[in-house]
Amino acid sequence: MAGNYWQSSQYQQWLLDKQDLVRERQHDLKILTEEEYQKIMIFFANFIQSLGEQLKLRQQVIATATVYFKRFYARNSLMCIDPWLMAPTCIFLASKVEEFGVISNSRLITTTAAVVKNKFSHAYPQEYPYRINSVLECEFYLLEMMDCCLVLYHPYRPLTEYFKDLSNEESLYPLAWRIVNDSLRTDVCLLYAPYLIALACLHIASVIEQKDLKQWLAECNVDMDKILEISRQILALYELWKNYDEKKDIAGILEKMPKPKTS
Amino acid sequence: MDDLEFPYCPDSNKYEKLTKIGQGTFGEVFKARDRTTRKLVAMKKVLMENEKEGFPITALREIKILQLLKHENVVDLIEIARTRATSYNRMKSTFYLIFEFCEHDLAGLLSNAHVKFSLGEIKKVMQQLLNGLYYIHSSKILHRDMKAANILITKNGVLKLADFGLARAFSVTAKDKMKLLTNRVVTLWYRPPELLLGERIYGPPIDMWGAGCIMAEMWTRTPIMQGKTEQHQLQLISQLCGSITKDVWPNVDKLELYDKMELPQGQKRKVRERLKPYVQDKHGIDLLDSLLTLDPTKRIDSDLALNHDFFWLDPPPCDLKEMLSQHQTSMFEYLTPARRPGQKPAQGGNRRPTQMPDQHFERVF
Repeated sequence: MAGNYWQSSQYQQWLLDKQDLVRERQHDLKILTEEEYQKIMIFFANFIQSLGEQLKLRQQVIATATVYFKRFYARNSLMCIDPWLMAPTCIFLASKVEEFGVISNSRLITTTAAVVKNKFSHAYPQEYPYRINSVLECEFYLLEMMDCCLVLYHPYRPLTEYFKDLSNEESLYPLAWRIVNDSLRTDVCLLYAPYLIALACLHIASVIEQKDLKQWLAECNVDMDKILEISRQILALYELWKNYDEKKDIAGILEKMPKPKTS
Repeated sequence: MDDLEFPYCPDSNKYEKLTKIGQGTFGEVFKARDRTTRKLVAMKKVLMENEKEGFPITALREIKILQLLKHENVVDLIEIARTRATSYNRMKSTFYLIFEFCEHDLAGLLSNAHVKFSLGEIKKVMQQLLNGLYYIHSSKILHRDMKAANILITKNGVLKLADFGLARAFSVTAKDKMKLLTNRVVTLWYRPPELLLGERIYGPPIDMWGAGCIMAEMWTRTPIMQGKTEQHQLQLISQLCGSITKDVWPNVDKLELYDKMELPQGQKRKVRERLKPYVQDKHGIDLLDSLLTLDPTKRIDSDLALNHDFFWLDPPPCDLKEMLSQHQTSMFEYLTPARRPGQKPAQGGNRRPTQMPDQHFERVF
């Protein structure tokens, strides 16, 4: 489907600014520190990634699911809906929207339960409690909350386009792609246009590989301040990862996380 | 989840339902009024038929496609509304797609003998229809359910392609990489021969065939090929467009059902001859002939069709507003008496008698 980012709901309704995020997170940040909040978001992005890989989904579907997840919590407290339920729901909806087909109910639940058990038991030692009814109900809330804005533009396509222009620098492509994947663990996908994120990831990749792309970037004629700000946020993620052992720390943080009232 | 409040999708209560006006691919359609602005809208209910699938993929497609398409000749999706979830509906809200309201659909207009289209007006209808198709096809969208009932016309004479419940995106990548699509689309009477023969890699020509059927209907006033089964539909197509053979359509024998369907042999193409009694205009006949081409690769596309002499020689396309102003009541196919049996095979048409006693209809063709 050909579309135009500048006419999309992503640009018109879902390009947030930093203030929006600060305001909406107030409630959760009374209980969690900012760093803990970020670690929870990183953790669930990892969880969605594992689910997607286990279900053999394309990265595009996984990225869409991750952004849906972030959109929901950009407007709601973590206590509104348990993120352990929201994560497979985002996968379920994203797979339909991206024309990857409907994931069968039983496959979704058994895969989620298996991934939780095999890969995330350090964070969730109990048996996975949700059934498909909860996912289907959760899907309604997710759709409503996003105001049915479904089509997403990711940095992958602009990144590929830039590399057509940079045919000599193809060696940077896999690294830049991985950095785009990592960028889904930050807020940049809610705050910036996908082509800017692509350029920032390319920029970081070039610095890591010590390739000089300054001239090329300058010729792109884009707002360099934004590129640098995106790069800064992604580098901050790498900084955080340096001294952080998720396996060890996450259980404690999730313990603190505000939870829905159980009735 | 009690604490959730959603200021995003508006409450469907902001609209007041007036009457049921149709049955779409995935739900009922109502005429309604915005309680504050008094503006008329059409509300299309999202039916949750297959609970296992969650929110229906067809509804997701229609939403995302219509959010993308913004064109004068494509129906405008205003917003999505929902009912409040209460214990009465098992905490499940109903979603509605809210569209701009159009007074008529083409099937309704054509079934009313009092509505007469001049040649210029027919040109205007077809020009707008092809404009809409040109736009959606260049946006990489297939409509996949072209039929007169899905062509809406406002009281000001503006045509809108509607019901994107079967629509989907298509890719233009190399054929071997293309995703297979289902061939179980398009209402039988408007279904092109390639779909009837099982093609699963298809594109814009499928909508162009439908445009041809609709164009002929502008004169005949009734669908031109009313098959009862897929086999029967192929028979009718062969009788009108000539036998389906490798001569007129190379590679047709590669299609999955080519050997399984009975294809009448020795039929001559009679498009011009059979339609001439209805369509006097020779450019009109010529365009119809190009639209109803068996081989989809040779069928005319919307761009070329818009450049056809039909639209550029006298009489020029003529606005419909004046003609429509003589007809005060809405004309929807759904509200007309059972004129077209089998028109809605999928829905099991629970048609209601007309609610407008001042209208009467008769068969013209």
